[in-house]
Amino acid sequence: MTLVPKPREFPVSAAAAAVLLPVAVGLVFFYAPVERTMGVVQKIFYVHLALALTAFWSFGVSAVAGIGYLVRRDPLWDARSATAVELGVVLTTLVLVTGSLWGRPIWNTWWTWDPRLTTSLILWFIYAACLILRASVDDPTRRATFSAVMAIAGFVDVPIVFLSARLMRSIHPTVIRSDSVGLEPAMIATLVVCLAAVFALWLALFRVRCGLHRQEAALDAVDARLDRAGA
Amino acid sequence: MNALRPVWVVFAKDVRIELRRRESLASMAFFGALVLVILSLAVGGGRRVAPETGAGILWVAVLFASVLGLGRVFAREKEDGCVSALLVSPLSPGALFAAKALVNFALMAAAEVVLVPLFYVLFGRGLAGNPLPLLPVIVLVNGGFSAAGTLLSAVAAGTRRNEVLLPILLYPLLLPVIVLAVRATGGVLAGGGLAAAAEHLSTLAAFCVIYAAAGALLFPFAVREG
Repeated sequence: MTLVPKPREFPVSAAAAAVLLPVAVGLVFFYAPVERTMGVVQKIFYVHLALALTAFWSFGVSAVAGIGYLVRRDPLWDARSATAVELGVVLTTLVLVTGSLWGRPIWNTWWTWDPRLTTSLILWFIYAACLILRASVDDPTRRATFSAVMAIAGFVDVPIVFLSARLMRSIHPTVIRSDSVGLEPAMIATLVVCLAAVFALWLALFRVRCGLHRQEAALDAVDARLDRAGA
Repeated sequence: MNALRPVWVVFAKDVRIELRRRESLASMAFFGALVLVILSLAVGGGRRVAPETGAGILWVAVLFASVLGLGRVFAREKEDGCVSALLVSPLSPGALFAAKALVNFALMAAAEVVLVPLFYVLFGRGLAGNPLPLLPVIVLVNGGFSAAGTLLSAVAAGTRRNEVLLPILLYPLLLPVIVLAVRATGGVLAGGGLAAAAEHLSTLAAFCVIYAAAGALLFPFAVREG
């Protein structure tokens, strides 16, 4: 009988997120200059890019944690993989929403089949399917194994998704290139703070949700023991 | 040569079952034909379609039909616990994966023998060019579908909702394949010949290789759990 360890009393990531998120919002609205052609609509970019990078990171974590589970067979890795999938789906949903909000005034359309949009949408579908799979299996070991297989199978699809999405005509702005960054220094500073804020939020949510998964598992184990004792 | 023998034995067994009962192939061909007829009516009944649209219609019919056969390939072993028997046999899980993927490949190919000619009957008007360059595209899509599909059918078969879950899990992974297959097929149907398909073949082949490798590595975990 293992009880889940109590989380640390002072989660650093949560504190960092609590400080950084308001600062990031403040910088976006009051510090970053207004872009000349797009105007105030461009400000959604800071949030959009930060969410997109964190979402992609989250899917990577889920695949690595999936491998961790298949190798170690430790429920902790399953909790990590499940949490990363959940956070990745939520963040990708926000990426698609913020992108659409920007695309409507700038591109004059909510949606277009651009490489990056295509990639984000396909990843959203793959990992949303992971969530459906998780909800359809009751046995914890089986659920963990299947989820790990799906998280890995989804992530190895990423190179093909990139290659196929390249066939789409791109109208998406490329702000950060390998040789230059097309941004004012004040914009770069805002972007960096936004990125740090969203990542800190991801870490904090990851910790909390992971703990919740483990507590659920511990509760289920107690439940099963009580059932056996009663029967 | 000896390593291939178990693969052949399981493959031959499944083909024999299929030849005796013809349940998978009949439902796949019938459903695929139905999808083609529905789409023919949906685009206005006998109207000319653009090559790219035609390519999309062909692949929708083939992929929707194929998932029916795919579900059966594995679900059949779940009945009466045949999987456990296969797992305690000297057969390696990797060989089981290869055999099941081959069975699915053969079923898909057999269904396509019916569906591709029917597609030309319903939509052939206005499509230019020799259909022969479609062959490598079809082979690679079948390969990718079978590899990814066999892995996920082992996962779906272990859940309560096999039939519903399999397409939900599989189609998101296949979205890039659909993009590539439609581009390549559209080029061929527009009269571009093999050159039109060639640029997409390497990416489709990469998909096959990735899922053949991922399947061989991950299938043992999924099938033992089922």
